[in-house]
Amino acid sequence: MPQFLKEFFNRNGTGMGLAILGLVLFWTIGLIILPQLSMLDFSFRPNLPPPEIGGPKDVYTLENYKYLIYGPEGGSQDYNTVDLRVFFRTLVAAVCVTIFNLIICYPIAYYLGQSEGSHIRIFAIMLIIPYWINEILRAFALRIIFGETGVLNTLFLGLGVWDTPFDFIRNDIALYAGLGYAYILLMIFPMYNVIESLDKNQIEAARDLGAPWWRIHWRVVIPYAKPGISSGCTMVFMLSAGALAAPQILGGPSSLWFTQLIYQQFNDNNDWPQGAAYAIVLLVTCILFVLAVMRLFKVNMGDIGK
Amino acid sequence: MNNSFLRISIWVYLAIFFLYLLGPLVIMSITAFNSSGFPRMSPWECLTFQWFGELFQDQRILNGIKNSLIIGLGTVVLSVAMGLAGALMLTQIWPKLRATYYTIIIAPILIPGVVLGISTLVFWDRINRMLGLGADSFLSNGIFLTVIGQSTFIASYCMLVLVARLQRYDVALTEAALDLGASHAQAFRKILLPFMRPAIASAAVLAFLASFENYNTTTFTFGEYPTLTIELAQKVRYGITPAISALAFIIVALTVFFALMNEAKLKRQELVAVARKNATVEELAGKIKLPSFFAGNMAAVLLVVFAVATITVVGTAATYNPGQCIADIREQKQLEAEQRIQELRKQREERRKQREAEEAEQGGAQTAPKPSNNSGFGNVFAPNSLDGSETEGEDGVSEPESAPSNNSGFGGVFDPNSLQGDE
Repeated sequence: MPQFLKEFFNRNGTGMGLAILGLVLFWTIGLIILPQLSMLDFSFRPNLPPPEIGGPKDVYTLENYKYLIYGPEGGSQDYNTVDLRVFFRTLVAAVCVTIFNLIICYPIAYYLGQSEGSHIRIFAIMLIIPYWINEILRAFALRIIFGETGVLNTLFLGLGVWDTPFDFIRNDIALYAGLGYAYILLMIFPMYNVIESLDKNQIEAARDLGAPWWRIHWRVVIPYAKPGISSGCTMVFMLSAGALAAPQILGGPSSLWFTQLIYQQFNDNNDWPQGAAYAIVLLVTCILFVLAVMRLFKVNMGDIGK
Repeated sequence: MNNSFLRISIWVYLAIFFLYLLGPLVIMSITAFNSSGFPRMSPWECLTFQWFGELFQDQRILNGIKNSLIIGLGTVVLSVAMGLAGALMLTQIWPKLRATYYTIIIAPILIPGVVLGISTLVFWDRINRMLGLGADSFLSNGIFLTVIGQSTFIASYCMLVLVARLQRYDVALTEAALDLGASHAQAFRKILLPFMRPAIASAAVLAFLASFENYNTTTFTFGEYPTLTIELAQKVRYGITPAISALAFIIVALTVFFALMNEAKLKRQELVAVARKNATVEELAGKIKLPSFFAGNMAAVLLVVFAVATITVVGTAATYNPGQCIADIREQKQLEAEQRIQELRKQREERRKQREAEEAEQGGAQTAPKPSNNSGFGNVFAPNSLDGSETEGEDGVSEPESAPSNNSGFGGVFDPNSLQGDE
């Protein structure tokens, strides 16, 4: 037995040590690592009916990945433009949602982090309450507002801003508002945690030295809050790229989210390997993208999640 | 200088921000009380509580709540246990492995829920096949798969909550217990567990809420046991009714209630602590005057106001009967529809006359094109005369009950379905 395991059992006792080790191994290996590897393996296999699985036809193939790029064999187009367009649109939209959230959340995180008083706690409760409401119900609420006879259209028609109802849903405005709405808290809290620990004297000093307010933010607050900002952005980006409920409820009839394609492969086409391949593509692209952006802004991986 | 300008813009910004955050919830809650068959605020028809009744008769919703509770309970037990074990392991793992281990157990938070759901499904399906079990075995059971899939990432949340408290734990306490002859299990149960209790409680609440509202993972794993969230999603996707608003209102009210209660309790503890600190010796000796529950405790005051408002609403709901108002609205709608039909008929008549005149001008080679329709029904029975309902469709005149007395002779024009506007 290696030294560190021996120490571990000495410290926790045999029974407790086994329980802890067992649970941790079950979680890390049984729930996290093996299922992901299994999905990876699955994505390289053809879609076979159950009796043929493990048979001679069950060989590794790149077919599922080729399908995403080139479309069905003998198709009319050289590339699978429909799916690829959905894929890139999802990524671009997720980036836009992240930037939108960063812009609207930074001021409030700064305000909450740097001011004092009992109203801050009330604000915190008001922030958390929407997060406790079901994701589906939040999307539903936005649908009531953005619908053709919804509150916004009634309001603007009444004010005479426009004369025919504006279709927020078909124009994807409802979808972006819904995605932004869903993940506001995940953007605010990491930023708030970091900004709260910023010494006010630093801001005072900058102000005394004559810096205008925007330069204080640019040179003092934002560099200090960088780990919080990057954690928030990472979470919002990953979650909105992987969102399923909001696009299903708020998305227009003609615009799809990439997760909806995965969902269709699984539930409508019953093509699990294809769906697994799409899921792998989504996961890997998102991780690579996040790592690239982090390198670009010189953020360490270890700062995330602190 | 422009300090007051900055201050005002901060408040305007805060107002807009909270409007965006809370406005949708308020509007959704209000639509639960409008009698309109489509959830909306305007036009306001009648105050009604019928949607709550409808909600409680919906078997699928009730069944979904039951499944959600079972799955939530399973997820809480599994993920708190795994989270605690994971946190304990994090504090004592070999330093060289620490970073890798931390990355592995934190990763499920960042992996999209869809991917977690798929990998759980694929992996356990394979295990099931390897063991040679059938499609109805325990391993392919919807509840088992959902609990497993959700716990994968919820355990990470629990771990984060638990490790924050564990870092403040003094290991010397456990060592002292062991020196005094306690077994490891006893030391764990009597020393560490009581210390961790507040964190375990918050981790459990967090895990339950996360499980209750999860959609992305569950949608792949639920099998034959749809949770409340799945049922809601299906309802919302295929036609929405105010009964969903009613459910949302209940959830919002419960959330606000518990949040205020928690806040009031915390505030009271704080006030008591301050009072103790400032108390003189004889006050501490017996007659310490603790602040009353409401003094300086805004959350407590709000809590009471909120509770009174809820009781009033429930009381009103028990006695209030919107039947008259609904009947009025229906009558009004009927009149409107009638008016529209009349207008339509007039237009048609005019168009026909115009056409006749044109034809007459053209020389009248043809015989009279149509017998003039002198019956009281106008052209309503002509197949196209119902087109008017199309243009009006978005308005959504959808009446849950059928129109009562239909003696106007317009046939099925008032049949609720003919005018049903579907969003």
